[in-house]
Amino acid sequence: MSITVYLVDDHRLFLSGVKAELAEEFRIVGSAFDVDTAIVEIRGLNPDVVLVDVHMPDGGGIAVVEGVTESNPDVKFLALSVSDQAEDVIAMIRAGARGYVTKTIEPPDLADAVRRISTGDAVFSPRLAGFVLDAFAGAIPPEEDPELDQLTLREKDVLRLIARGFAYKQVARKLEISIKTVETHVSSVLRKLQLSNRHELARWASKRHIV
Amino acid sequence: MAAVRSLEFSRRKTNRVMGGVAGGLADTLGIPDAYVRAAFLTLLMVWGLGGVLYLGFWLMAYDKVEDRDVVAVDNGRGLGLGLAFLGLLLLLEAVGWWPNPALVLTAGALAFGTAALTDSSKPGPLAALMDPNVDRPSRLRLILGVALLFGGLSVFITSIGPVFELGVVFLAIVLTGLGIVVGFGPWVRRLIVDLGTERNERIRQEERAEMATHLHDSVLQTLALIQRTDDPARMAILARHQETELRDWLFGAAPLDGVDLVSTALKNAAARVEKDHQVPIDVVTVGDHLLDKESAPLIGAASEAMVNAAKHSGADRLSLYLEAEDERLTVYVTDQGKGFDLDKVAPDRKGIAQSIKSRVEKAGGTVEINSEPGDGTEVVLRMPLESK
Repeated sequence: MSITVYLVDDHRLFLSGVKAELAEEFRIVGSAFDVDTAIVEIRGLNPDVVLVDVHMPDGGGIAVVEGVTESNPDVKFLALSVSDQAEDVIAMIRAGARGYVTKTIEPPDLADAVRRISTGDAVFSPRLAGFVLDAFAGAIPPEEDPELDQLTLREKDVLRLIARGFAYKQVARKLEISIKTVETHVSSVLRKLQLSNRHELARWASKRHIV
Repeated sequence: MAAVRSLEFSRRKTNRVMGGVAGGLADTLGIPDAYVRAAFLTLLMVWGLGGVLYLGFWLMAYDKVEDRDVVAVDNGRGLGLGLAFLGLLLLLEAVGWWPNPALVLTAGALAFGTAALTDSSKPGPLAALMDPNVDRPSRLRLILGVALLFGGLSVFITSIGPVFELGVVFLAIVLTGLGIVVGFGPWVRRLIVDLGTERNERIRQEERAEMATHLHDSVLQTLALIQRTDDPARMAILARHQETELRDWLFGAAPLDGVDLVSTALKNAAARVEKDHQVPIDVVTVGDHLLDKESAPLIGAASEAMVNAAKHSGADRLSLYLEAEDERLTVYVTDQGKGFDLDKVAPDRKGIAQSIKSRVEKAGGTVEINSEPGDGTEVVLRMPLESK
C-alpha cells in the first residue's frame, strides 16, 4: 500500500520532472495545472499527500488548500515553491499546509518530505525555519496567549539547526535527542504557527485574506 | 565597549623598555608612552613608589599575546592625567611622604622634559626646530621640555654643594644645556628618524596586506577558475566580470555594490559565489542589521568561507545562515561535504582559514571552524555589536 500523491503546478515542465522523480516510490494518482481542476480532482481522489505550488493564477496554492480541507480533512499538503516571500510561505502554513520546501530541493529529500508529511509530521525547509524564527523573535504583546505566541528554547535550537541546512537526523545528533523528539518539536512549532495570534502572523495572514 | 576597553590593559609585547607595563598603560589611557615612563621615574624618587606601582600594574596586566589596538592619542586626556599626577605629587608632599623635594623635582623635571623632547607620537625636537611649518602645540611642547630640563638641572645644581653665585649658576646651566644639545642631539635625531621610518614601514605593510587580501578574493580566484574552464565563452564572462570588479575597486566605485543591509550584502555575495562556482547556496537570514564598519568584515569573510567550501568540500550545495540580534551578528557557512581534520590541514588551506580569521578578529569578532572528515564543515563568524 504505497502512499498516494497528487501534484498541482502551473509549470508543466517542472510538474513532469517531479512526477518522474517521485513515481518510483509513490503512486502518483493525478496532477493539475490550475486551481479549479485541482480542487475537483483532489476531492474525488482523496490522496494522502498533495504537492502544491504556491504561485498560480486564480488564488494559488492557498485556494487549493482551502478548497479541499473542509471536505477532505485527511489530505496533507506540502507547499513547493520558488518564492522567497515570507508572506507566501507563512500564509500557506496558516492555511493548513504541513510543510514547505523550495523547488531547489534534491529528489531524495523531496521523497523524504513526502513520506514525512504522509505520517502527519511537519516538514520545514531552512528558509521556513528562518521565517518562523524571525516572526517569533522579540517580546510578545501582553494580551496574547503566551503559550502559543512564544517558542521554547529547544524549539528555537531545532529551528536554528534546520535553518543552517541540517537534516532532522543531524539535528537530533547535534542536540543529542531522538529524531522523534525533533519531529515533536517541529510539529509543535507548526501548531503554534497555525494557531498563534501574534500580530506579525496576523498581518501576513490578513494580507492574504485567510484570517 | 570603549568603557570596558579602558578598564583592562595588557602589557606591550613590542616597542617596550622593560616589562611593557608603561607602554601598555599608555595605550590604554591614550597618551604618549614617554610621559607614563616619566611618571614612573619621578615616583621612583618618592621612596621607590614608582617601582612598587610598576610591579603592581605588572601583576594586574592581562597577558594577552596579540598586540592590542592602540587608543588614539588624545591631548585633552593627556592634560587631565598630567594635572592628576601633579595633584598626587602635592598630596604626597602634604602627607609628609616627600623625602627630598629637590630630588623629586629634579627627577620629575628631567624625566618629563626628556619625554616632551622625545615623545614619539609627535615630530621630534630637531625636526620641529628646523621646520617652520610645525604646529603650535609641538613648538610649545618643545619650549616646555627645554625649560623643564634647564629648571631641573638648576634645582639640582643649587641643591648639591654650597649656594653658587647667580652668574655662575646661569653659566653652568647654559654650558650643560649646550653640552646636551651638542652631545645628544644627533643621537636623539637618529632615534626619531628611525621611529618615523619604522612607522611608515608598518603602514606600508598594512596597506600591502589589505591589497593582498582583496586580490586574493577577486583576481586570484578568477584566475584559478579560468584555468579550470575549457569553455571559451565562460572564460570570457569570468574575465569580463573580473575586469569590472577590479576597475570598481581601483577607481573607487561604491564598495560592496552599494547595498546597505547585511542580509542583502550576504545574498549578493552568495549569488556571486553561486555564479562563479556553480554550487547552489541556501541563504537564510533572521533579523537584519545595517551594513556598517562593524558588520562589513563579515561579508568578505563569509564570501571567502563560501568560496572555500565550494572549491574544497565537494558538497553539492551550501548553507548560509545569518542571525542578527541586538548585541551580535552570527553567520554560519555550512556544507555537508567531505570535511577535514583540523589538525592536518594542508598549508594552503590553513592560509585561507587564517585570512578569514584575521579579517573578523581585526574587527573585534571571533571565528570558529568545526569540521571532521566525512562530516562536513561549518564556519561560524561572530561579531559583537556596539550600537543599541
